[in-house]
Amino acid sequence: MGFLTPLFLAALAVLGAPVLLHMIQRQRTEVVEFPSLMFVRKIPFHSLRRQRIRHWVLLLLRCAAVALLIAAFARPFLRSTALAVAGGGREVVILLDRSWSMAYGDRWDRARAAARGVVRDLGPDDRATVVLFDSGAQSGTRSTNDRASLLAAIDGAGVGAGTTRFGPALQLAQGILEDSDQPQLEVVFISDLQQTGIDSAANTLLPPGTVLTPVAVATEAETPNVSVVGVSVQRDTFAGAERATVTARLANRGSRPVEQMRVALELNDYELEALAAAAGAESVASVTFAPFTVEDTAMPVSVRAQADALPHDDVFHFLVSPGDVVSVLVVGSPGAPEASLYLERALAIGESPSFAPVVRSVDELTVEDVAAASVVVLNDVGLPSGPLGTAITRFVRDGGGLWIVLGERARWPGGNFEVLPGAMDEPADRDGRGGVLGFVDYSHPVFELFGTPRSGDLTTPRFFRYRPIDLQADAAVLARYDNGAVALAERRIGGGRVLVWTSTLDSFWNDVALKPIYLPLVHKTVEYLAAYRPPTPYLTAGQVLDLAQYPGADGLDLAGGNLVVRNPSDDRVPIGSGGRDGRSGFVDLVEPGFYEIRDVDAADVSVIRVAVNVDPAESNLARADSQELVAAVTGRAGGDRSVATQRELPPEDLERRQTLWWYLMIGALGFLAAETVVSNRLSRRALDPDA
Amino acid sequence: MATHAPPASPGARFIDPKVLARVGSLELAARFVVEGFINGLHKAPYLGVSIDFAEHRGYMPGDDIRRVDWRLYARTDRFYVKQFEADTNTNFSVLFDVSKSMSFGSRGLTKLDYGRFLAACLSYLSTKQRDRVGIVTFDDDIVDRVPPSAKHFEVALHTLDRMVAGRPGALGPPLYKATEFFKRRSILAVISDFYEEPDKVIEAVKPLRFAGNDVILFHILDPAEVDFPYDDSTSFQDLETGRKVPVVPDKLRDQYRRLVLDHIEAITRLCSQNRIDYHFMNTKVPLDHALFRYLAMRHKLTKVR
Repeated sequence: MGFLTPLFLAALAVLGAPVLLHMIQRQRTEVVEFPSLMFVRKIPFHSLRRQRIRHWVLLLLRCAAVALLIAAFARPFLRSTALAVAGGGREVVILLDRSWSMAYGDRWDRARAAARGVVRDLGPDDRATVVLFDSGAQSGTRSTNDRASLLAAIDGAGVGAGTTRFGPALQLAQGILEDSDQPQLEVVFISDLQQTGIDSAANTLLPPGTVLTPVAVATEAETPNVSVVGVSVQRDTFAGAERATVTARLANRGSRPVEQMRVALELNDYELEALAAAAGAESVASVTFAPFTVEDTAMPVSVRAQADALPHDDVFHFLVSPGDVVSVLVVGSPGAPEASLYLERALAIGESPSFAPVVRSVDELTVEDVAAASVVVLNDVGLPSGPLGTAITRFVRDGGGLWIVLGERARWPGGNFEVLPGAMDEPADRDGRGGVLGFVDYSHPVFELFGTPRSGDLTTPRFFRYRPIDLQADAAVLARYDNGAVALAERRIGGGRVLVWTSTLDSFWNDVALKPIYLPLVHKTVEYLAAYRPPTPYLTAGQVLDLAQYPGADGLDLAGGNLVVRNPSDDRVPIGSGGRDGRSGFVDLVEPGFYEIRDVDAADVSVIRVAVNVDPAESNLARADSQELVAAVTGRAGGDRSVATQRELPPEDLERRQTLWWYLMIGALGFLAAETVVSNRLSRRALDPDA
Repeated sequence: MATHAPPASPGARFIDPKVLARVGSLELAARFVVEGFINGLHKAPYLGVSIDFAEHRGYMPGDDIRRVDWRLYARTDRFYVKQFEADTNTNFSVLFDVSKSMSFGSRGLTKLDYGRFLAACLSYLSTKQRDRVGIVTFDDDIVDRVPPSAKHFEVALHTLDRMVAGRPGALGPPLYKATEFFKRRSILAVISDFYEEPDKVIEAVKPLRFAGNDVILFHILDPAEVDFPYDDSTSFQDLETGRKVPVVPDKLRDQYRRLVLDHIEAITRLCSQNRIDYHFMNTKVPLDHALFRYLAMRHKLTKVR
């Protein structure tokens, strides 16, 4: 026997109340006049206050009623395991895997049949929940014994496009079981038990006593499967037009080689070319299609392999967009073209994006040159005065990128700090072997590429001269020399970005241009200044598309509410809102294929497409050991059902199941009723003069 | 209080005091009681009172020659006069306690009423025997006083009729003061509930006794004061002091009764030691027993001379 709120038992002290009522009869309000209390006062006081109990029955009834009331409030329960378990049903959570690997063969049909069997086997006291999961998990009606709704949830489910992750599903089951007051907890895990999904279950532990029953629907001895795991697009120019050559990568995960497999290249659902491919057992192959001309807009292209038992990974969708070009205006000093040689050569290399450098001497520079550029590099030259300087300043404020390189000839007349991050000083020399970079902000996009090991050592270049600069308060240092002087600083002006490099970009003041890091450093710096975002050829099912960040959706009016998004099945899908500012423009991508986004009110009715593919990792159908899964999430070897029946319910559940307080309340009311009857009878007898 | 019940007297006609309470006239009520009482006695020995011969003595000049015993002169040739028993008429006064506690009555008859009838009966009986009748009422002081006189019976009745119990009482001071009122040997009937310690009661009465008076105490109590028949726990208020005391009668009753008995026995013992007559009166019993007591006292006086 235990009590849920034992503090209420302290109220048993009020049991003294009826005793006192009996021992000290409450004095009546009327006063009896007596000639003299001379004799009364001689009697010791305690003999006046105490008197014998006359009505033992009344006393016992009242005490019993009060005691039962107090005991009821203390919420008693019996700790007997037999009582706790007797008559108790099961809490069954049916985890049904709907990842797209379940579409292999008849796995999904068998999985649903197994789930229906579990529902049919439910007892009258059992409750169950159907949880559908892939990379996420969702449940319908929780903990219900309505078989019809459970079967409807199973029948209404279908294979999705998500990948297999056991963790979310098991965590949801854990929550359901922890909330349950049923004495027996059970999880039926119906899945193809892919090895790729078990890692996410590492941190999940089901409540003690839970029986986890894996139902593996992947019973095939051989699982031949060929999937298109990716594509690469090579671009070239032919007759003034950009051409794209698509190479598809195929993976044969079966134990038998595949011969003469048909692989087709489709454009807008129109088959451009079909090739026969071959792939050895457990190997990969590639197929290169003939080049095709790239149009001005993103072209929806698919590579479709011959259908097999798992159709989801037989096709790969992607977008082929026109090549990106970043125009860079390099402004040099008159008579010093060699200062921009290394920079120009570096910008001439690059495909995604490609750079279009234009080198101008400051005396040849025009306002039109500035307007046509995405990035302006003031290479060892000061800000031009007059309209050019104003044009460059406006260019920066309007979102352009400005890279100021402070060399020997750099002059900054009039202390114009509107775009310069700080006041520069006379050149400073480093003695001996020169200095190196001592601090680099690798979290900045310019240096992010160099943050990982063996991706370029920024400390190898030697700096022999630099221009010290006294930064303004709103400027940030991205790199410093080993003596603490500023090497690279940034300042935001309006919508644009200004970087100042306090040494040169040729080999005069340093040897950076001679180092391997020069090319990526220049590319990343220019990309950052141009706010370049690489095109997204495809996304993966399960991701959330943020239209505000999608490269092709810059012109969409997200707040207008006139956007229409259609999924590959040509159904309209809602646009969600979220983020810190609660803005709109989020689309859940749940189906492989091409999503189409259009603004119905815009004059330009062009369609923005988003290619969505399934996660190729799901193509790996290797199975995990079910016992390993059981051991991981239950903490014991599977199959030990006897452990489950020993589950000790928490006191709250025991009390809620037993509800002994209800019987105690009824008993108390019964005692009070009896007390009323007895006391009325006694009072009537006392008032009857003939009695 | 069976021990204090009046003895049954053959031929006596007992009248319930409650019946007397319905008689408007005190004199009528007293006559009703006394006449009935006397008639019921028949040849009671207490009535030989008046002029019985006592002894002879030698004639002295100045003696009334009508009292000379001529037969004895014939035999002895000497003059002797006959002497008779002493004078039979005496003073009779009632000292009546009219303190607030006397107004208590649980059966429709207060102790004051009962004592009033008792005093009236005694006064009537005394008047019939040609005694001088007076009355003194007191609480904590003398309230009213009617000196003993053969003509004061009506006045005494009137005093009894209009007396009211309204103030706290005390025995000592008023009785000491009343001692001065009785210069001549008297029969004093003190009627009270004697709610004082026995020692104090006796100390209060002693001056009267030492002054040569014959004192008889009539201790009047209501049945409720003797039996304490209350059941419910409640507050009891002292009629004289107004003080309230919470009382649980069931627990208290036995001790209370014992204390009352002890009180009565103590007064009885002390009165006996001081040659004071004491008689306990329960208002539920008839008055006859009190009359017997009085007549016994009266007869004792006749034997003195």
